[in-house]
Amino acid sequence: MKRLLPSLRAKKRYLAFELISDGPVSRSDLVKEVMFSASSLLGDVTASECDIRVLGFEDSKGIIQCSHTKVKETRASLTTLTRINGKRATLHILGASGTVKRATEKFLQNHTVFELKSR
Amino acid sequence: MGNPKFYDFCVHAVPDGENTIEQLTVLSRHLGYSGITLANHSDKLPQSRPELPSTNEFEVFRGIELVEENPSKLHGLIGKFRKLVDVLIVHGGSETINRAALENPRVDILNHPAFDKSSGLNQVLAKAAAENNVAIGLTLRPFLHSRGPRRIRLLSDLRANLDLARKYDVPLILSSDAVSCFDLRSPMEALALAEICGLDEHEALEAMTTVPERIISRNRPGPGYIREGIEVLEEGDFF
Repeated sequence: MKRLLPSLRAKKRYLAFELISDGPVSRSDLVKEVMFSASSLLGDVTASECDIRVLGFEDSKGIIQCSHTKVKETRASLTTLTRINGKRATLHILGASGTVKRATEKFLQNHTVFELKSR
Repeated sequence: MGNPKFYDFCVHAVPDGENTIEQLTVLSRHLGYSGITLANHSDKLPQSRPELPSTNEFEVFRGIELVEENPSKLHGLIGKFRKLVDVLIVHGGSETINRAALENPRVDILNHPAFDKSSGLNQVLAKAAAENNVAIGLTLRPFLHSRGPRRIRLLSDLRANLDLARKYDVPLILSSDAVSCFDLRSPMEALALAEICGLDEHEALEAMTTVPERIISRNRPGPGYIREGIEVLEEGDFF
């Protein structure tokens, strides 16, 4: 199928994030939990308008895509994420950008993920 | 406007919470806060006064969250702890305790005022809160951990309290009420969640920046302070 013209495509924002968690987390579990918390906080209708998609996720860092008008709603729904697959976790958003490239360069490249030192 | 300083005015450390105050400090600093208040519940205080890890850019304030069911005993506890802490929080949850806390000007914050079938505030209490300058604490933790009917109930209580607070000009304060490191959220995320829950942008920002600063400056009077309302601003030979 022919791809939409650039001017017709929906505008997006890319949120760079780090995941602070109690152990390694798989991408599929993260996606499941992100979608669940969005639909439970915002309802299915608003969550669909947000157009949330987890793009990349590696080494506890990644990028989430959302609609450019719904950044606040997306941030709020990601805030309510507390557990992934039973393990405690916090999603810390490092920043938002209009392109994947810029989000990666600005927020992810030189960022070391926070690690909780045990007592 | 510059960069506002964000404060989280209610975190619980060992033995009340799961993590030590050092861990909470490191993480909240990483998330972008300028200060937190260690406010353990008064029924779970550690044996000795904990050392607070403060640096120049990041401050840990000493606080307490009083848990008591008898109003006259609560007033006694307030008198006992007021001089020892920077931030005095009352854990609400019944009509008499909410009333006792809001009518005492020595209290800084009332947390979780809601109890069964009521949001915890009414016009009488809201007026008292505004008069005595007691802030209503909005805590994030219950909103993060509950889903479905329970969260709906929390949100409607929040809205009811918010309407009263706006009408009578009661200060609001937004805190995490964290019992674990994983309950902490960065300021931007807390603001986003608060805005989704019904606060407007300005209110939410004030609840994390200026209201906490006011509480601290009230409880840490400057060198020229004599008593409420009287302060020496400039030393000089006037006579």
